[in-house]
Amino acid sequence: MGFWKVHIRWLRDRTLSTLIWTIGIAVIVVASAAFYPSLSGMSTGSGQGGGEAMSSLLGLGQGIDPGSPLGFLWISLYANVFPWMLMALGVALGVAAIAGDENTGALEYLLAKPVTRTTVAFARFAGVVTILVVASVVSAIALTISLPLFKLADAVTTINAAGSPVTSPGATAANVFNRTFASFAVALGLAGVAFLLGGVTGRKSIAMGGAAGIGIGGYVLYTMSNMTGSLKPLTWLSPWRWYVSDAMLINGLSWAVVLPFVTAVVGFLVGWIVFTRRDLQSS
Amino acid sequence: MDNLSLRIPAGECYALLGRNGAGKSTTARMLLDFIRPTKGTIRVLGGRGSDPSVRARIGYLPGDLNLPRSMTGADAIAFFGGLEGGRHPVDTSSLIERFGLEPNRPFRELSTGNRRKVGLVLAFMTNPELLILDEPTSGLDPVLQEEFRDLLAERKAEGATIWLTSHVMAEVERVADRVGLARDGRLARELTMDELRHQATGRMRLTFAEPVDAAQLASVPHVTDAQAEDDDVLVTVDGPVTELLRRAADLGATAIETEHRDLDDIFLEMYQADGSEQ
Repeated sequence: MGFWKVHIRWLRDRTLSTLIWTIGIAVIVVASAAFYPSLSGMSTGSGQGGGEAMSSLLGLGQGIDPGSPLGFLWISLYANVFPWMLMALGVALGVAAIAGDENTGALEYLLAKPVTRTTVAFARFAGVVTILVVASVVSAIALTISLPLFKLADAVTTINAAGSPVTSPGATAANVFNRTFASFAVALGLAGVAFLLGGVTGRKSIAMGGAAGIGIGGYVLYTMSNMTGSLKPLTWLSPWRWYVSDAMLINGLSWAVVLPFVTAVVGFLVGWIVFTRRDLQSS
Repeated sequence: MDNLSLRIPAGECYALLGRNGAGKSTTARMLLDFIRPTKGTIRVLGGRGSDPSVRARIGYLPGDLNLPRSMTGADAIAFFGGLEGGRHPVDTSSLIERFGLEPNRPFRELSTGNRRKVGLVLAFMTNPELLILDEPTSGLDPVLQEEFRDLLAERKAEGATIWLTSHVMAEVERVADRVGLARDGRLARELTMDELRHQATGRMRLTFAEPVDAAQLASVPHVTDAQAEDDDVLVTVDGPVTELLRRAADLGATAIETEHRDLDDIFLEMYQADGSEQ
């Protein structure tokens, strides 16, 4: 009983911010899709025009044509803006679950009531998952509805660098689902890291800085690795590597998508266990 | 807190006094399992502060109440009351009226005093067996402070056990049975309210025709302090004054006046005295 009360209350306290984030992401998704009619067919190849690192970072080194519907969605949305927005939301929620309220003293007051720390940890992490699911599903639905409106569902034929016509399929709801699911997974992984740091330290600054640092640092590491081969083995530490390298929008989900879920589960479990055993920080 | 040994029987009101940083709030937080002692044990209402069934019987007011910014007083009453599992015997509307709480304003818009009112309603609304109140009147205006003391006295009369931390002697004087003096993380002194009140009336001003040596009075049994002031000697007594009066008469006292001291003065003196002993 305490679980649902704490869970629903935590969601209620975030109604407005969830609404703003969700609408914001959906608007960006639709606005990005709306650019496609004016840009489609402009590319002639597999994205080799930019630097190798940039092309690789955007997944364009894997035969993805940025002039095709899927290539356009990939470079305009799913390789940058969309996952970043979801990851930012995930970090903010992961921090808020424990460390945010602990810093203000609100968590301490809740724990003076007949609820256990375990109940609070589970109810709030479930809240993190719920909000990320809502934001992901709404944006996925918005994009799926937008596909036919902005010709993203139509197959296109372009001329490649060798002068041969290449027909690219239109984007489908399954493509959108795959990419959104992978973005959700990475955002949840970072939320797990933020929850872990908050659960272990009780410090908002550490949780926020640590999780955001892993997100941004992973991005830098992945970018650098595309220029310096010696860094390649380390890129498995980067959430960006899990997200970008398999180009799941085009190629479908790969097993790499499991890694952020594992990170989230481990982050939650360690954060929860330490949280139940340590002293609360005073506000 | 270091080396704290304390037992508070059911129905007693215990006030832990001390300056900021003395360890009062730390002790309250240990009772509720927010922080754990590095050594020793704490039992509250026969159980542990971490046990939800024990917490359900406790009303808590922290020194600095913080709730989610969008939560209104009414939300807080519904949510925290719901977590108590239906223990809602008190009519919260009477508490709201009593403290003049505006229940529909979100927490972020409330002043310090109004946040205190929310905390007091939440602490008292389930009629708990144990009240843990950390600086309860901090931020309240004098009228509400008096209202709070009335309510506390009522709850005590109904049998509630009260743990109070404060540096306001007025609220302690009204309801406390026993006071402890916390200093630098230690329980420096402990005394009953009767002992404290006795100290309040245990000072006398003796006037002599000619100046006398205060040491002649300081050596009298039960005299704890004697200070000369012109032709007067100020004497503090902690027991029968028979011997003191006899010695004063021998020395030619012309007037005897009993001084009533404020408990705040006593608190300050005790604090300074305990500090100088260390």
